[in-house]
Amino acid sequence: MFKTILAIFILCISTSVLADFRMIVPQQVGGGTDIWARIVAKELEKKLGERIIVENIPGINDIPGFNRWHNELRKDPKTIMVAHGGNAESFLLHKVDYNYREYAPIGLQNLTIVVGHRTDSDPFKQVRFSAGSGMNPDVMAITMLVCGPLPSIENYEKCFNEKVTYVKGMRGNERRLAYMRGELNVTRETTAAYYKHPRQLKENTEWFSHGIIDIETGKIIADPNFPGFHFNQIYKNKWGVEPSGELYDAYRLVKNFRDVLQKSLWVDKNNPNRDRLIKAMIDMIKDPESIAAIENDTGKYQWIVGNDVNKALSSLDGQITEKALKNLVWWTTTVIKQDAIYKEELLKKAK
Amino acid sequence: MSEILFLVLGTLYGFLFGVIPVAGAGVGLITIFGFLDIFRTEPYLLVIFTTSLVVAAAIGDSFASIVMNIPGGSGSAATMVDGFPMTQRGEAARALGAALSTSTVNGLIWGCLVFLFLPFYATIILKVGIPEILAFLLLAFASVCFINNSYWFRGILALCLGVILGLVGQDPISGIERWTLGWTYLGNGVQLVPLMAGVLAVPELLEAYKNRHAHQRILGIKTEWQQIWQGFSDSWKYRLDGLRGGLIGAIVGIIPGIGGTVADWIAYGQTVALNKKEKIDFGDGNVKGVIGCEGANNAQKATAYVPTVLFGIPGAPFEVIIIALFLLVGIELGSPSLLTDLSFFDHLAGSYMWSLLLSFIIGIFFIRYAVRVTNLPFIWYFWPIMLLLLWTSVQYTGYWEDYIFFFLCCMLGIILRKFKFSRAALVVGFALADRLESTTLQYFTLYEYIDIFTRPISGSLMALAFVAIIYGVFFNKTRIKYV
Repeated sequence: MFKTILAIFILCISTSVLADFRMIVPQQVGGGTDIWARIVAKELEKKLGERIIVENIPGINDIPGFNRWHNELRKDPKTIMVAHGGNAESFLLHKVDYNYREYAPIGLQNLTIVVGHRTDSDPFKQVRFSAGSGMNPDVMAITMLVCGPLPSIENYEKCFNEKVTYVKGMRGNERRLAYMRGELNVTRETTAAYYKHPRQLKENTEWFSHGIIDIETGKIIADPNFPGFHFNQIYKNKWGVEPSGELYDAYRLVKNFRDVLQKSLWVDKNNPNRDRLIKAMIDMIKDPESIAAIENDTGKYQWIVGNDVNKALSSLDGQITEKALKNLVWWTTTVIKQDAIYKEELLKKAK
Repeated sequence: MSEILFLVLGTLYGFLFGVIPVAGAGVGLITIFGFLDIFRTEPYLLVIFTTSLVVAAAIGDSFASIVMNIPGGSGSAATMVDGFPMTQRGEAARALGAALSTSTVNGLIWGCLVFLFLPFYATIILKVGIPEILAFLLLAFASVCFINNSYWFRGILALCLGVILGLVGQDPISGIERWTLGWTYLGNGVQLVPLMAGVLAVPELLEAYKNRHAHQRILGIKTEWQQIWQGFSDSWKYRLDGLRGGLIGAIVGIIPGIGGTVADWIAYGQTVALNKKEKIDFGDGNVKGVIGCEGANNAQKATAYVPTVLFGIPGAPFEVIIIALFLLVGIELGSPSLLTDLSFFDHLAGSYMWSLLLSFIIGIFFIRYAVRVTNLPFIWYFWPIMLLLLWTSVQYTGYWEDYIFFFLCCMLGIILRKFKFSRAALVVGFALADRLESTTLQYFTLYEYIDIFTRPISGSLMALAFVAIIYGVFFNKTRIKYV
C-alpha cells in the first residue's frame, strides 16, 4: 500500500501538476514540435521566472489540440499554444476551428526544409519519395524540378504519375531507414535533422532548400544554412528559367504558410501575460546560451517576436489568391490524392 | 560516485514502474520529462538512469504478470499465461525465480553482444527492408493465432478486431479521418494503454474480485527459498527454451519499431510448439511457458538499442521516448560523432550490465514480499490496482474522454473473456495494425508482390509463418487455455 501511495505521489509530482504556465503541443511526446517546445520552454522559463510545462493534445493532422486550445483553453491566461507547419497547412486545406488572426503572437522561428537525394540514382529519371504530414510543398517542388516548365498545371499530373513514386504510410524514422537502404532515393528534413541523418550517409547529397521568406518584402530568399542550394537557383540551373506559373504560385503559398508558421507561440488577444511573455522571449533570444540550445535543434534561423509576427502574417495573407488556393486544393486532391477543401473564407479574411 | 547513485536510483525507479501493473518502462520514462533539469549538466547520468530504468522495469514487470495476472508492461503479457496458474498452484516463487534468472542470463548474453560491439553493427540494419518487416509481421500474426490459442478461428476474429481498432484514426493515403464515428478523440487512433488495461487487466481483476472469498493462503518463507532455487534449476534444465526465447527477442528487438509484445508472444508460441506431451499443459502453469517468453524479455530490450543508437531510429516504442530525452540534454542518437564517443558507450554498457545484476538481486529479495501479496486479502490491493490502472489509462489527454474510453475498453475485455475470444490476439493485432497497413502500402508501392517470397530473409520468415498455420490447424495438440 505504501509503495502504491509513493508511486502515485512520485507520478503526480513528475507529471508537473504544480506547474505555472503550460504550452499546448498538438502532437504526441517525442514529435519534432514537442522536442522544440520542450527546449524553448526550458529556456523561456529561465527568463520568465515561472515554470512552463508542456502538455500534449495529439490528434488527426494535429488539428484537435489546436481546436481545443481555440475553443476551451485559450481564455486561461497561463496557456500558450505551440502551432507548427502542419497546422498552417491544415489552415489552408482542412476544416479547422482555429484562426491565427484571432490570437496574439508571442514569437516564431522563420524555418524551412531541406531536400536531399542519393547519388547512386538519378532523381530526374525517377523519384521515390515518402508522403507525410507537411510534405505537400516538398513534393510540389520536386515535381516542378523533375518536370521543368510545363504549359499548365494539369500537365504536371501526367508528369508526376510518370516520374514520381509517392510512397504513402511512412513515418519519419521509416523514411530515414528506407532512404539509407536505397528504397527511397529522395528525402526531406528540417535543417537539424538533415545534418543528423541524410548528411551522414556517403551516398547523400544536398538537392535543394526551399529558402525562407523575407518578412519585409514577402519574397523567398536563400536559406542561410544552405546558401548554394536555393530551390529557385537549382531550378534555374537545370531549366534555364526561374520557376513560375500556376503550380509555383500554389507551392509558394503553402510553402510559406508551412515554413513561417512551422514553430510559433500564441496566446489569446486579451491575455494579460502577453507582454511578460514577449519580454521573456526577447531576453531569451538575446541570451547566447539559450539560442545555442535552441539552434542545436533547429539550425540557425531568424526569430520574429511580438507584433513583427503580425507583419509576417500580413505577408502570408497577401499571397492567398483565389487561383493559388484553388490550384493548391486541386493538386492535393487530384494529384497526390489527399484530403482537402477549398475555403473561400480565407480570401475574405485575407482582404 | 554520482554514477553509482543514479544507477541505484534508476534501478529502483524502473523496478517500481515494472511492478506497477500496466505501467512498465514507457510510463516510467515519460515521467522523467518532469525532472529532466537534474541531468542537463551531466547528460551521461541520464544515460545511466534511463538504461537502468529500462532494464529494471523489464525485470520488475514479471512480478505483476506472475503474481497478480496483470501485465507489468506491454512486454510481459505472455508471462501471465503460465505464470499466474503457477501462483494459483502455490508456485509463485518458483515461477519468479525461473523468470528472473532466465531474463537476467539472456540479458547478460545479449547485452554483451550488443553493447560491447555496438559500433560494428551498422551494416546489419540495412539488410532488413520493407519485405522482411512485412514477413515478420505476418509471422507474428500466425504465431499468436495458430500457436498461442486453443480456439484459432476465434483467435483470427479477435486479431481482425484488433487490426480494425488499430486502424481507427487517420487514413494514411487520403489523410481523412477513418472509423472514428465522429468522435475527434479517436482522431489520432485508439490508445494502447487503456486498451491493454481494459481488455487484459480489468477483466482478470474483476474475475479475481468475484472469487475473492475463495482466496487461498499459500507458501511459507522456507518453501519460498526452495522454490526460488527450483526456479533457477528449471532455467538451467530448460535452458534451450530460454536461449531460444532470447534469440527471438534479440531478432525482434533489432527490427525497428516492433516492441516486446511481439517478441514475447513469438517466443512463447515457439516454446509451446516445440514442447509436446507435457505433464502440465501450457496455460495451466507449465514453467517452460514462463522461461520461453522471459528469455525474450531483456534480450529484446538490449538489441532494441542497436537501431536506436546507430541511426536514431527507435528499435522499440519505448526508445522513442529515450531519443527525445537524450536530445533534450544534448545527446543526439544516430549521429556519427556519438558513435566515436567511447565515454557514451562505456556509460551505456556499464549501466546496462550493472543494473541487470542489481535488478536481479533486488528481484530475488523482493520475491518473498511479492509472494506475500498473494496472502493479503484481495480487497487490499484491488482498489489501489484499479486506481493505478485508471490513472495510467487517462494520461493521454487527461480529459473526460479518457475515462469514457477506458470504460468502453473494460466492457470489451469482459465480453471477449466471457465468449473466449483471444484477447492476446486482439492486442497484438491492434498494436501492429498501423505498421501492417503502412508496410503493406510501402511494399506494394515499391516492390512486386512476389518479392516477399523470393528474398532470402523474408522468404524464410514466410515459410515459418506457413508452418505455424499448418501446425496450428492440423497438428497442435498442446493447446493453451488462455484467452
